[in-house]
Amino acid sequence: MVDCTGGDDDYLDPNDDDEDYDAYDANFCENDVRKPNVDSIKMITKETLLAAQREHLRTVMEVLSLKEQHARTLLIHYRWDVDKLVTVLVEKGKDELYAEAGLSSVEHDNFVPAQLPSMVMCVVCTEDVPAVEVTTMDCGHCFCNSCWTEHFIVKINEGQSRRIRCMEHQCQAICDEVKIRILVSARDPNLAEKFDRFLLESYIEDNKKVKWCPSVPHCGNAIRVDDNELCEVECACGQQFCFSCLSEAHSPCSCLMWELWCKKCRDDSETVNWMTVHTKPCPNCHKLVEKNGGCNRVQCICRKEFCWFCGLSLDAGHSCGRYKEEREKVNTVIERAKTELLRYIHYHNRYKAHIDSLKLESKLKNTIQEKISWLEETITTNIDYRWVTNGLYRLFRSRRVLSFSYPFAYYMFGDEGFNNNMMKYERDIKQSLFEDQQQQLEANVEKLSSILEDHFDQFLEDEVMKMRLNVIDLSAVIDKLCKELYECIGNDLLGYHQWTTPSIAPYMSNGVDKASELVCKDMKPSHTKKNSGKDAICFTDEWPSVKRLKTDDFTHG
Amino acid sequence: MMDFARVQKELQECSKDIEGSGIRVTPKTDATLARLVGTIPGPIGTPYEGGTFQIDINLPDGYPFEPPKMQFATKVWHPNISSQSGAICLDILKDQWSPALTLKTALLSVQALLSAPQPDDPQDAVVAQQYLKDYQTFVGTARYWTESFAKISSLGVEEKVQKLVEMGFPEALVRGTLESVGGDENLALEKLCSG
Repeated sequence: MVDCTGGDDDYLDPNDDDEDYDAYDANFCENDVRKPNVDSIKMITKETLLAAQREHLRTVMEVLSLKEQHARTLLIHYRWDVDKLVTVLVEKGKDELYAEAGLSSVEHDNFVPAQLPSMVMCVVCTEDVPAVEVTTMDCGHCFCNSCWTEHFIVKINEGQSRRIRCMEHQCQAICDEVKIRILVSARDPNLAEKFDRFLLESYIEDNKKVKWCPSVPHCGNAIRVDDNELCEVECACGQQFCFSCLSEAHSPCSCLMWELWCKKCRDDSETVNWMTVHTKPCPNCHKLVEKNGGCNRVQCICRKEFCWFCGLSLDAGHSCGRYKEEREKVNTVIERAKTELLRYIHYHNRYKAHIDSLKLESKLKNTIQEKISWLEETITTNIDYRWVTNGLYRLFRSRRVLSFSYPFAYYMFGDEGFNNNMMKYERDIKQSLFEDQQQQLEANVEKLSSILEDHFDQFLEDEVMKMRLNVIDLSAVIDKLCKELYECIGNDLLGYHQWTTPSIAPYMSNGVDKASELVCKDMKPSHTKKNSGKDAICFTDEWPSVKRLKTDDFTHG
Repeated sequence: MMDFARVQKELQECSKDIEGSGIRVTPKTDATLARLVGTIPGPIGTPYEGGTFQIDINLPDGYPFEPPKMQFATKVWHPNISSQSGAICLDILKDQWSPALTLKTALLSVQALLSAPQPDDPQDAVVAQQYLKDYQTFVGTARYWTESFAKISSLGVEEKVQKLVEMGFPEALVRGTLESVGGDENLALEKLCSG
């Protein structure tokens, strides 16, 4: 790779640097500015989902001395946010808390059929049914089992398993899941199983702290982030993604910028600009005509001849050579489209170039590994080659930062409204500041890339030592520059509007946080064993069966 | 799958109380109970007073566990009813439907909607705008629409009166008799001849 050291990096040239190399030893990656988020990022598999849910259920059951199904109704309503639930409890009291969630007073749910006359009229089917064939919900409303079952089936098929209301008009009570399960499984066991799964998955789908891994095909895992939800995570399946928008990790680009950029790259909005610059509509048939020769008398396929300068018909009376004031306007529109197109091409080329480099460099990983293995086998001295892999890792990391910094700049300094209150001169200053940072980073990244491509396996020992120092030093410089670029973006550019919250995931020296396995107190030993290591990602077990859910989790008393 | 026994019972219940509620539900054809026509009188004291509004009712297979589909067949000027299609914006016909409700209670709710428009949750934005910004014009238009589209039978009455008067019966007697037989021309003639 070409050594791209420009003039920009003079004062950060690693060769002039007097920093202590030992400080950036092979393990320098461990020294992160920020405490890693790792402990707060958990991966939830099919097997741990139930345990994860029960952690929260248990808290609520203990605080309010509730049964599991009632605790679940509450948690589904409050979107699994135990803090919110407790806040409502403290501020509004138990009755209000229950009423909001559609939980009836849970005291009188021990329904005794003897209290009813022997025949009961069900107002839904308008039939008289024996009292043993009716079910009373916690809210006190009583209908026949057949009608209840029908109601539940309709609601489950509508995808409303998590909030099935009582059949009585204007009754907001949520039906007891235990009663639903008993009635539905008698008619349709498969649907009852589906119902259970919907309730289980509520923990993921109704919970802002948990999201499905967006991998395709889906790995079956979900990720839970306990503190800062604005972050980038890596699932055990290897998928890296932005936890906020679920697309690929894209910082320092914000989610909105990234969404716009992807759309822009995908659709042909620039084709429109190209057509504006390079074609003109025929004054007769209005089709777009591209000029393919020098002559400015253009003929459309409809045989109409028109003037390329003014776009008007070449009939008698055509005289666009004469100067008229308003024609200037047409040119400005074309000029603007041209400038905008060139600007987009500029940023897109650089963004793409870094992505392409990243692809090529990922091949280096294997080459370097081979070289190291060869060296370790042939040379007896015990040299640690971790600095090479660390350097390579730093290269990958910073390539991504660099490539995403271009779409960021495209929006930040363009006219898309990301800088609306910034004065022109202010914007220019900030832009050149940002670009200085970006260029320094770019120069050093290219330098590192070029060094890592060297054939260090054929080097003499002092050459290897020199390379090691270079790589370690460059890695440190690059890490520092990345950090500074994020600071510049966070503080000077995005932080410019004081009312906006920071909208990019923070820079992590160690790269995207890997989710760790969720281990719950009440998990059975067999579960923990099953889920250890890489097995968890390729686990093909079915969902926890209805039977297990029933016996283990839902029966009580 | 549909509970026809219940629908049958509902129709019977409803016909018992036509005098009281003014609400009528009849099958559209003899072939099926899934397609019905409901009739509601315009509420007194509203621009709909004096009109008779027909509502097309389609019962889904899941009825009464799924809400009936209702749509005005008579054109009506109301913020929550489409002036084009007759579609009704009413919560109990959507997510607030309960299997314990009936066609009659649903039609009563539709009638209540005529009395109490909810322009903040409009079905027809044009009507809702007019309701909020120019209430007098709204009342005028709604009344005009009632006169034009919901009183077709009343125009018929005048024709029947004229026909019977031409036969030689006094006008006051003709009107009284027609009213007593519910507007049926032949029954009125029979009664006039026999009386």
